[in-house]
Amino acid sequence: MRLLKSLTIGFSAAVILAGCSAEGNDQGTEYAPNMYHSVAYEPYSQITDEDAGRWLTSIEYPATVEGGEGHAEYYNSNRFNPNRMNMRELPANTVRRNAQGWLPYRIPNDSTGLRLANRLKNPLDSSAQVLAAGKVLYETYCDHCHGAKGEGDGKVGAGITVDGVQKSAYAGVPNYKSDALRNISEGHIFHVITYGKNLMWPHGSQISPEDRWRIAKYVKTLQK
Amino acid sequence: MSSNSRFVPLVLETDTSFNMIKNYLHSACKSFLFLSFLVLISFSSYSQEISTEPAAITAGGQIFNANCKACHRVQQKLVGPALAGVEQRAPSIDWIKRFIKNSSAVIASGDEYAVNLYNEYNKTQMTAFTSLKDEDIMNVLAYIKSEAEKPATPPPGQQTGTGGTATNAGGGSEYLNVILIGMVIILILLVIILGFIISSLKRFLDQRPLSEEEKEVVHSPITFSSITSSRGFLFIVVFIVGALGFKTVINGLYSVGIQKGYAPKQPIAFSHKVHAGQYEIDCKYCHIGVMKGKSATIPSVNICMNCHNQIKTGTNTGEGEIGKIVRAFNENKPIEWVRIHNLPDLAYFNHAQHVNVGGVECQTCHGPIEEMDVVRQHSLLTMGWCIDCHRKTDVNSKGNAYYDKMVEIHKEREGKNPMKVEDIGGLECSKCHY
Repeated sequence: MRLLKSLTIGFSAAVILAGCSAEGNDQGTEYAPNMYHSVAYEPYSQITDEDAGRWLTSIEYPATVEGGEGHAEYYNSNRFNPNRMNMRELPANTVRRNAQGWLPYRIPNDSTGLRLANRLKNPLDSSAQVLAAGKVLYETYCDHCHGAKGEGDGKVGAGITVDGVQKSAYAGVPNYKSDALRNISEGHIFHVITYGKNLMWPHGSQISPEDRWRIAKYVKTLQK
Repeated sequence: MSSNSRFVPLVLETDTSFNMIKNYLHSACKSFLFLSFLVLISFSSYSQEISTEPAAITAGGQIFNANCKACHRVQQKLVGPALAGVEQRAPSIDWIKRFIKNSSAVIASGDEYAVNLYNEYNKTQMTAFTSLKDEDIMNVLAYIKSEAEKPATPPPGQQTGTGGTATNAGGGSEYLNVILIGMVIILILLVIILGFIISSLKRFLDQRPLSEEEKEVVHSPITFSSITSSRGFLFIVVFIVGALGFKTVINGLYSVGIQKGYAPKQPIAFSHKVHAGQYEIDCKYCHIGVMKGKSATIPSVNICMNCHNQIKTGTNTGEGEIGKIVRAFNENKPIEWVRIHNLPDLAYFNHAQHVNVGGVECQTCHGPIEEMDVVRQHSLLTMGWCIDCHRKTDVNSKGNAYYDKMVEIHKEREGKNPMKVEDIGGLECSKCHY
């Protein structure tokens, strides 16, 4: 009988504890939840529910609305920012500082701009180091559309077939070696990465100016 | 006399006079002569007609793929117009040649058709293809004509469906089912064989002279209670139940505060399997912060739109999920993704230090992300898990001048033992807790 009793206790403990692990939408049981829920703003973990974690709130937090009750432990968002984001949007015309002291790229995004950009000189040299860095960046940002050799045959550009079913492709990726593109300058490439051209959308927000110049260097080697 | 009025009576009145037929033939001959004259003129001014020869078509196809495909399709409007029927639509073949060789000059000359075209396509200037010869352009036209006459195939996006992934998922479980059925069959066969052995042993023993007691043992009935009350059976049952219970309790205790396996539903059913796995888009294309800062960053909507401005039909979910991105982009609203990997506030982690400096692959911590339709937390993210890796991993010191002196000192002290992360302070409390 004692054996049966201890078995029952063990089993019920196991069943209860099995509910503690995380799965699907359930984060699982948190040990000391105060430690998981940051009081300071955390990236990508915005909690807008003011009453979340009320049961363990032990200190008085300020009220989020005039004359209201203080918010609870888990609340983590900023009511003054657009969409109650934790992050503040940058003021317009903010310029990022860079190690080289380069000024922001100000050539406009139009056909005159493209002609002006055409005459720009790449501030980087053609050392093996720059080209190797350019290759890594090209493989990160470009080759899924433009292909490893710049022939416009990347998997996104050319489309893929999975289990015999043809999947969507991004139409209109050019061949770098075509007559129209073979002789473009590095400045032209820089300008197009920044603003996009025809079907290609701007990539200036993803790739820093220095990296864009590195990619331009590498792309020219693909066109030879 | 127009051709229509000449033609109608011939069809309606079958008993027309011989004269009328003669008259018709006569005028037909005349118009044929006129037509051939026209053709001759067109030959002299347009130099040639669009060829239907396979050689010209293949040559044209190559030129088309190398030079035109980026902006033009035969049946589909892209940057520039769809080219099917261009030879009939454009003012003349000669005009097409001039436009391809130097479109801006044609537009500048005030040509009405060219100016309209230029305005219709958002004033996008077509590149001047000065290197293409007249015959190259004729070959391209031959290719376009042959492609235009082919029966239309449905666009690739429409063929996509859920079928592919569904069959994939079924494959694994089917395999398991076969193994299970095989095992059941083997077990049944074993029981039958054992039954045969028992009965033959009984027959063998019956032929021997046996005492009453021995006979009772041989013929004792096998009942359910005799099995359950046997010591061996009880021991096995208690052992299995005890061991399983113990394991579950320990596992349950260890799972408290650990979010491994957490796979929340996201506002958009984004699939890493499709993007990183099938299309092989580099992780860093979207997670742009991973080489530069603490957070790997979740891509902003404009990065999604770099592809999804054009790709509007999804592989798994059709247009619904991609439509959410387009809507968010148009309304300028951020998408509220659910964060999966939550490190407690008391521990500091920096992606750039691990991925950029240390050269750690994404999959080392995040698991086979390129196979996940829904992302789940792959690693424990406990302190023991961090420390374990810091003990095992060599410092990625190659080509990094920052580590030169440390490597030197380490060599003096430890000789050939490789420099691990723990050797340069990877286990110090204040490295992560401050």
